[in-house]
Amino acid sequence: MAAEPLLRISEVVTAYGKIEALKGVSLDVAQGSITCLLGPNGAGKTTLMMTVAGVLKPKSGSIRFSEEEISSLPPHAIVSRGIALVPENRLVFPSMTVLENLRAGAYQRKNDFQEDIARVFARFPRLKERSAQQGGTLSGGEQQMLAVARALMSRPKLLLMDEPSLGLAPLVVEEIFHIVAELHREGSTIFLVEQNAHMALKVAQHFYLIEQGRVTFSGNPGSLAEDEVIRRAYLGSAQS
Amino acid sequence: MTDFVQNSLDGITLGASYALLALGFTLIFGVLRRANLSYGPAIMFGAYLATWTSLNFPAALFVLFLVTVAGAVLAGSYVERLCFAPHRKGSAVAAMVASFALWMQFEELAVLALPKHLYAFPALYDGGPLSFGPFFLRLESLLMLLAAVSICFLLWKILHATRFGIAVRAVIDDPTAAELSGINIGAISLRVFALASAIGGLTGFLIISSQEQVTPMLGMWSTLKGMLAMMLGGLGSLPGAVAGGLALGLLEAHSQWYFGPQWRDFIAYLLLFVLLAMRPPWMNTRSAY
Repeated sequence: MAAEPLLRISEVVTAYGKIEALKGVSLDVAQGSITCLLGPNGAGKTTLMMTVAGVLKPKSGSIRFSEEEISSLPPHAIVSRGIALVPENRLVFPSMTVLENLRAGAYQRKNDFQEDIARVFARFPRLKERSAQQGGTLSGGEQQMLAVARALMSRPKLLLMDEPSLGLAPLVVEEIFHIVAELHREGSTIFLVEQNAHMALKVAQHFYLIEQGRVTFSGNPGSLAEDEVIRRAYLGSAQS
Repeated sequence: MTDFVQNSLDGITLGASYALLALGFTLIFGVLRRANLSYGPAIMFGAYLATWTSLNFPAALFVLFLVTVAGAVLAGSYVERLCFAPHRKGSAVAAMVASFALWMQFEELAVLALPKHLYAFPALYDGGPLSFGPFFLRLESLLMLLAAVSICFLLWKILHATRFGIAVRAVIDDPTAAELSGINIGAISLRVFALASAIGGLTGFLIISSQEQVTPMLGMWSTLKGMLAMMLGGLGSLPGAVAGGLALGLLEAHSQWYFGPQWRDFIAYLLLFVLLAMRPPWMNTRSAY
């Protein structure tokens, strides 16, 4: 039997009170891939990310990471297993300096974070320039870079990214996706949620389309269905 | 003029104890965004444990100090687990009401163990007050002021230069992002309560050993004064807590002198009311650690 993919989500149902935002989602993220989740607003993309990260608890279904069931673990235990989420809207710590944001990202490692800080600064020279500046005073693009850098500080095996291009200027979006591609080349596995389907499909090897809490389509970029998928990712099938 | 200076000295003395209480309060409030009504009663629990110890054993003052701090930390951790851990993501009112219930528990427990209204407590220092010309200042007051300033400084240092401190500030800034960074919020919250209660225990010990007496009212008094001082200084700010405490002490000392003791608390609450209505800039800061 072939080994299980790095992340396997099966029949996950997550609800806010009585309203089910995810109605049985199943998908796989293969080791070393960039997998992209597309879908219109309110389809359940962020809910799925928060569920994998352990902030939301699924009502039923299973989430397996490296062949271990993680759906009942608290967020800090999921970080220690090797999953880090770059959350929607970045959520940098506004009153803490860039350096302190990075130290918080490395919280689970007691001492050996200096090397990681050096590596992250090499990748994001802008953050190094701003290392003593408070997170809240950075521009949107810098905050996004800080959020990515903070997530990398935990040395994740799987990096989850929730709408990294949200609210950013096109040039900055290019830069962010350039970094995503670079991380992938260096061996990271990335599971990406995006509204910006054109950008996402340029870097992804595999994609899923989620609509109204269900995965309705999956495939590889470049296939015939791509235009239809992009249209539905922006508009949702309901409007078609 | 002499009276004014002496009153100010008395006010600073009083204010130093308020500042210490406000520091513990503000630490808990900053992290949880929840008011812990049982903060004072947990201190009172530690004070009663020490009083009971001194009545039953020939304990040195230093031992009584440790007992007070240990009792307060124990009680504070109990409050956190029972009232705040279950409601971390839920209702702030539920947590506050639960902390009120534990306040009653602590008071009942104290009265059951030591039923008299007032108990003597060993003195911190037996000598008379220090005098400078016409002015008097008790040594205990100086100690209290020193404790307030050094604890404020120490807390600031902890929050800015330690791994624990970074985690605490991360939780204050954005609890969800803190969780996603691998910080266990429940564990941090418990440690913050223990730290705040240890400061409370120290404060309680300084208060009862300089007043040389203990009553069950210590709980309510500590909660009221600590909260008032915290609100005056702006919620969740350490220097603000010290400033708020000292301002409250000065205000009380002077209004007692000029208007009589019956106006003391009235004027303090009036000022709070006016400040809350006007919201000066320092009261709008979300957190200024």
